[in-house]
Amino acid sequence: MFYGWYIIAALFFATFLSIGARQGFGVFVKTWEEDWAVSTAAISFAAAIGTLVNGFSQPVFGWLTDKFGGRPVLLASFFVTGLATAGVATISSVLGLMVLYGFIISFSSGGIGFQTTGVIVARWFEKKRGVAMAVLVSGGSVGGLVFVPFLSYLLIEVGWQAAWIITGLIALLIGIPLLLIVVKSKPDDIGLTIDGVDPNSEEGLHGSADAVGPKFVDKWFDALSSRPIWQLSFGYFVCGITTTSIGVHFVRWANSEDITTGTAALAFGLLSGINAAGVLVVGLLSDRFQRKNLLGGVYLVRGLAFLTLIFLPGDIALWAFAVIGGMSWLATVPLTASLTADVYGVRNLGMLFGLANMSHAFGGALAVFLFGWAFTNWGSYNVPFVVGAITLLAAGVVCLSISEKTNSVRFNRISQSNELDSGSVTAGAS
Amino acid sequence: MPNPLETVLHHSEPIDPTLWEWLSLKIDDVLGLHSSAMVFILGAVTVLFPVVVMLLVWRRHRITRRD
Repeated sequence: MFYGWYIIAALFFATFLSIGARQGFGVFVKTWEEDWAVSTAAISFAAAIGTLVNGFSQPVFGWLTDKFGGRPVLLASFFVTGLATAGVATISSVLGLMVLYGFIISFSSGGIGFQTTGVIVARWFEKKRGVAMAVLVSGGSVGGLVFVPFLSYLLIEVGWQAAWIITGLIALLIGIPLLLIVVKSKPDDIGLTIDGVDPNSEEGLHGSADAVGPKFVDKWFDALSSRPIWQLSFGYFVCGITTTSIGVHFVRWANSEDITTGTAALAFGLLSGINAAGVLVVGLLSDRFQRKNLLGGVYLVRGLAFLTLIFLPGDIALWAFAVIGGMSWLATVPLTASLTADVYGVRNLGMLFGLANMSHAFGGALAVFLFGWAFTNWGSYNVPFVVGAITLLAAGVVCLSISEKTNSVRFNRISQSNELDSGSVTAGAS
Repeated sequence: MPNPLETVLHHSEPIDPTLWEWLSLKIDDVLGLHSSAMVFILGAVTVLFPVVVMLLVWRRHRITRRD
């Protein structure tokens, strides 16, 4: 088996732990409220700061990944995050939570984000980049499904302090050795080549490793003068708007439609389950077809899901949204990361995808505020849902308009000797 | 004008505590296991996966070195 798949397994675990622990934050809110005699809003403020700090950290770690490679960035981030996570057990006030979780953990965990792990994957895989990215992303979904319940039961059994110490120890005693032993920044660190092709074969001599695309850039800011990075970032900004707002306001909306919290929870669970499968299917398809078509399609499908919330009766809309929305939920991540790598190459992928991730975080923060403001003032989510559907339609059209065949190395590759070899490697992709 | 903080944060991110409380009760109902058993099962899943990956890589290194 190609060594890259072991790396995917290790990065899957890193994503599982990082996203699972972040999603588990909500489990502790009630306990902290009682222990510290503070309001939900005060604790949530620390979480909100954390979201913004995490967004800002993404291009920083992306830049570091481009400069030093994914392995050292990942290891350092994992070490600091693990240590700080265990340190949460010593906190006794919201101020402490704000400093340790809102700033330190939220910043350091940015180094375990997709702009670091995605770069490592992109350096190991080209032909199966889509499916490899999808497996990586699915680690986050599984983390939510497994690690959040784990934290919840730990809270019941051993208390919140011990739960955070155990989480930190898992990162330090299991995560760090795993990353140290398994993860290498790029294939030639251990004498291999991208996709595991034999370096002495025809493909190895003239194939993937030497491939250069027409838009490959030496400096990350050179990419800013071309269209695809803006098209992809716009789509990702809309992705942030539409996923984060639903993550926060879905139950509130369901309650406003006289749907119980339990039923809303079940629908959201269904959405998550469909999403985990949807990401893998989209990843598989993206290695065969143009990624921009799938990406545009994903945004349009999500737009359709938003329309169901506006036009269908609440109890039907709930399930329609869960099924249709679930098909598109996290599927944008492997597509955007792979497309960015295909168009601009892997040399500056960390910084470029970090910028896209930052736009995702800011879109999410903005939407959570505006959705809440609209509901508080107008007593309905209809206007925000219309805005969500329109932005998704725009994102779909913008992504469909990306000139992938002209700009992507999958379809238009120039060898190191600048010999144009258009479409020769991924024949069959349409 | 409502307090913007309260407007934004109907609850903390990203798991709604009320939602999670309901979910955990449902899980308990369906599986009927004590919470300590759930800690053991979910903890084992979390720990075993990376250990197995490390063992597979170690085995691969050993075979490669022997060859």
